[in-house]
Amino acid sequence: MSVFHDEIEIEDFEYDEDTDTYYFPCPCGDKFAITKEDLENGEEVAACPSCSLLVRVIYDKEAFVCGELVEAPSSSAENKLELVRSRKL
Amino acid sequence: QGANSYGQLGQGHVEDLSHPRLCGTAALENQAVLAVSGGGGHSVLITEAFVCGQNDRGQLGLGHSANVSTLQLCHSLSQRVTKVACGWDFTLFLTDCGRVLSCGSNAFGQLGIGQTLPRTADVLVVESLKEPVVSLAAGLRHSLAVTSGCVYQWGSGLLSHAKRALSPRPVPSHFGSALPCLVPLEQKTSHVVAAGSMHCVCLTGDGDLFLWGSNKHGQLPHSEPFLCSPTLMKRSLLAGEKVIHVWSGWTHIVAQTTGRVFTWGRADYGQLGRRASTSQSAERQSVTPSAEGGNQEACHPAEVKVLHGATQIACGSEHNLAIVGRLLSWGWNEHGMCGDGSETDVFLPQLVSGLRALLIGCGAGHSM
Repeated sequence: MSVFHDEIEIEDFEYDEDTDTYYFPCPCGDKFAITKEDLENGEEVAACPSCSLLVRVIYDKEAFVCGELVEAPSSSAENKLELVRSRKL
Repeated sequence: QGANSYGQLGQGHVEDLSHPRLCGTAALENQAVLAVSGGGGHSVLITEAFVCGQNDRGQLGLGHSANVSTLQLCHSLSQRVTKVACGWDFTLFLTDCGRVLSCGSNAFGQLGIGQTLPRTADVLVVESLKEPVVSLAAGLRHSLAVTSGCVYQWGSGLLSHAKRALSPRPVPSHFGSALPCLVPLEQKTSHVVAAGSMHCVCLTGDGDLFLWGSNKHGQLPHSEPFLCSPTLMKRSLLAGEKVIHVWSGWTHIVAQTTGRVFTWGRADYGQLGRRASTSQSAERQSVTPSAEGGNQEACHPAEVKVLHGATQIACGSEHNLAIVGRLLSWGWNEHGMCGDGSETDVFLPQLVSGLRALLIGCGAGHSM
């Protein structure tokens, strides 16, 4: 399917450190997923393992190739911080 | 029926179902179910509270975080629960004395308990809502409640959208609060709230709708891509009639007025239960903001005549159920959530045969 279900900014994805993967809710109840490695390779399509829907990930490719974990505007700092903290508990 | 990746259909397995199937549990026998709702991958039925499905964030309130594929009694609820709202991976319960209880993910502050816990599998009281709550709603990562005619919002699910849309202007505090935060609204007669994935809806006692949040898919009939405060929806868009109830999918809205049922917002999977006419396609140019990748189909409010007289309506993420004497379904159907045995999207409300529905509810991609 060439039509994307949606376009989602990388800062709106939840990052899982264990799998190095970014996740965003899919309307089916599962999650769109794209790995950090995919992003570093310039991939921009996040797929849902349970259905046909795809979303285009909006992110700064340059920043990812440079090895930045998340190049997001400072606006999302508290979310990222919260996610990181949640992983440790 | 519908998506079942996490056992949310309570069948003891994780296979999708495209036909309605009885969710059999001896514990439910002879009990009147009061309310039924679903989140991303979980389901909640209220007699006493029964839960099943995905539980990785503790959203089932069972005190653990293992998924459950058959309905389990949520023992930790010591108070009688009358309503439930399921967010993506969290759950809000409303007790008969108007208190809000919450469990599940708190990564975005969506439980209304502050940000000390990133998640909880134990059901906690939202202490800061002092007045009795009469309506509550849960979006992907945000929550809404009504007390004494006022609307409270918490959970930062809309914060990044708000910042992108409003920058460099400051973002109102109700978008970033981990505790219930009063939403600025001149009218103090709110009595129903509904939540989309990234938008908020409130219905006042005067029959007016106020909408705020993301308008990426044309779900708010305004030209701005994001509305930072509750904005009155012109009654002329709804044939001049008062609204008596409102429901929301992730990116579409269903409103019942004194005489009719209207739908608007995203339409590409049949979410609106009607065909977009040519004139609407033209109108949608003005309603769909192009700022945030607005390449989606979206439509102005229009009536769905077959839903006239509906006694219940429920919205999933991109599909819907209604009881209009008989049970109807429409919208996205890839997982069989419309219950017609197919996986083809349903663009006009159609009969779900073989069921006499008393109570309906939807999770994101499943139907109950």
